[in-house]
Amino acid sequence: MSDTATRTLGDEIVATPMAPASGRAKLLKMLVPLVAFAAMLAVPIFVEPFWTQVGFGVFAAAIGAIGLNLLVGTTGQLSLAHAFFLAVGAATYCYVSGESGGTATEVGGLGLPPVVGMLCGVALAGLAGLLFSPIAARLRGIYLGVASLGLVFIGQHLMNTLEEVTGGFNGRATPIFAVPGFSFGSSDPDLFVLGIPFGEAEREWYLGLFLLAAAWWFAHNLLRSRPGRALQTLRDSETAAAVMGVNVQAYKARVFLLSSMYAGLAGVLVALSIGAIAPESFTLEVSVLYLAMIVLGGLGSVGGAVAGAAFVSALPVIFQRYADVLPLLSQPGQGGLSAPQGARILFGLTIIAVVLFQPAGLAGLARRRPRRPARTTSVAPSTAPAQGSTP
Amino acid sequence: MSVRVERGAGPTAAGDRGIPPLVVRDVTVQFGALKALSEVSFTVEPGTIHAIIGPNGAGKSTMFNVLSGVYKATAGDVRFGDAVLTTLRPHQIAKLRVARAFQNIALSGTQTVAENLMLGRHHLTAAGFLSAGLRLPKATKEGRLHGQRVREIAEFLELGDKLETPVGVLSYGDQKRVEVARALCTEPDLLLLDEPVAGMNAEETRRMAAAVLEIRSALGISVVLVEHDMGMVMGIADRITVLDFGRRIADGTPEQVQSDPEVIRAYLGSGDDTEESSA
Repeated sequence: MSDTATRTLGDEIVATPMAPASGRAKLLKMLVPLVAFAAMLAVPIFVEPFWTQVGFGVFAAAIGAIGLNLLVGTTGQLSLAHAFFLAVGAATYCYVSGESGGTATEVGGLGLPPVVGMLCGVALAGLAGLLFSPIAARLRGIYLGVASLGLVFIGQHLMNTLEEVTGGFNGRATPIFAVPGFSFGSSDPDLFVLGIPFGEAEREWYLGLFLLAAAWWFAHNLLRSRPGRALQTLRDSETAAAVMGVNVQAYKARVFLLSSMYAGLAGVLVALSIGAIAPESFTLEVSVLYLAMIVLGGLGSVGGAVAGAAFVSALPVIFQRYADVLPLLSQPGQGGLSAPQGARILFGLTIIAVVLFQPAGLAGLARRRPRRPARTTSVAPSTAPAQGSTP
Repeated sequence: MSVRVERGAGPTAAGDRGIPPLVVRDVTVQFGALKALSEVSFTVEPGTIHAIIGPNGAGKSTMFNVLSGVYKATAGDVRFGDAVLTTLRPHQIAKLRVARAFQNIALSGTQTVAENLMLGRHHLTAAGFLSAGLRLPKATKEGRLHGQRVREIAEFLELGDKLETPVGVLSYGDQKRVEVARALCTEPDLLLLDEPVAGMNAEETRRMAAAVLEIRSALGISVVLVEHDMGMVMGIADRITVLDFGRRIADGTPEQVQSDPEVIRAYLGSGDDTEESSA
């Protein structure tokens, strides 16, 4: 009587190989990032240092945006504290790898290798996230946003008062990154590739590129696996996730920890990119800009976060450079619309446009092609009548 | 009208899997002054299909929320074997192999059917943030292994060709089936189905009823069913508990319940109904 009985749960596993079409699509999916990565490797040979500098800033922001997107886009937990965790990473790096003495203020430093400083920056940002995670685990959505707001102000206060670590109001210079035997500064060793001198900008481009690739890969894997599925369900229905066996509080705490570690790494790179740290680099506005990145790029999408970061962090710099040729913009100090203001107005307009017309963000544009099931390889028994034709 | 579907192996199969009975004893749930459930008791024997029915607002969904740990009972307890479910949190109850399909579809619309179903394997798998993010061999192997079982269950519920489709674009009936399939993917000993055929047409209802019977006979598990479709309930339930205004007004076989005067009054209404509600 029941046609479903033709296939019972006790049946042998019926191997349903991936559709050949999707197999080729899979290969393409793997090839595209590889080709893109290879192209990025070649970029410093072809462009002037200005663009590699902008690129490094974008890589730094992109890592931070990926981390924030895991928390906000994937899990649905709002955080305004991202600037705080960036600051923790940046200040820790400067203190651990910087030298003491130097400028007018009494700046301390441990003088440890920069790699150690970077790892400490990530670890300490993670620790700060861990300390806050009991709160993050118990709050949801906008409530967490409000609670996390306080961290930014604590961060500002610490940046201003912990002069030995942060250099206080005036900030301190960022120690140049290096791995044993190779400095990411302008020399030591002197480096020429195809006759082009590879200075700080070119070298940092590669540092940022590799770290971003690793950060992207990790987040991408995470989203397509057990914890990633749990986080996405947490966003869509906390009750359903819990009933399916997800420990809601533990997962909220863990994703907050991970997000703050991403921010810590981003903070180190931001410090390297600017060349110095100061309280004004880690204000509430920075947190908001990171939120703008992930909304523009596409909530929950790793690639979208990177695209959003590129847009938001590169635009003001590019405006600045081309202020003389761009309409409406004025040179600094001439009154009128400055480049950062122009960029901000454009962000505002873009965000409104995205929310209205393309809620999935830049990532949604790339995904315009509708996904459809591989009907050609349907495994449904032919005896079964057409199904799924609900009113 | 009534849907007659062949009975499966029946209660006998459950014994050898060691599935314990579910014992609900004097459960009361109070929200402020409102008593959503008052001293409700019933027992789900291993391997049976046990229906909970009652008019709207009778407390059926509240009972499900107590069984799955979403609500805390004000008084009374629920035991599943040695475990006292009323003291546990939802994810701990899931570990005890109690699964639930939601009435108002609680799936992740942006994820594919396969991804939604894989969530059902959550408590059976172990990959954490680090091993998943770094794609350690044990995490990928685990995913592949459980992916096979997920495909099997999807095919059983006629979702085999929709595994890679985002749930959000599926028809309502398909989404309902994904709900049931996800619950089934947890390999439950006790399956809680909250109105699995609500909004389905007659043909879909018949197929779902057949699937539920098949689940019970193939897996030998206990099923608790909340459902408004009386035809389906009377056709497949071994035992029925009737709730009205948070109280148990009847408990017995479909035949006993159908002829119970209290039940008839609750469903058809009577003059002294208002008096009852004030209780």
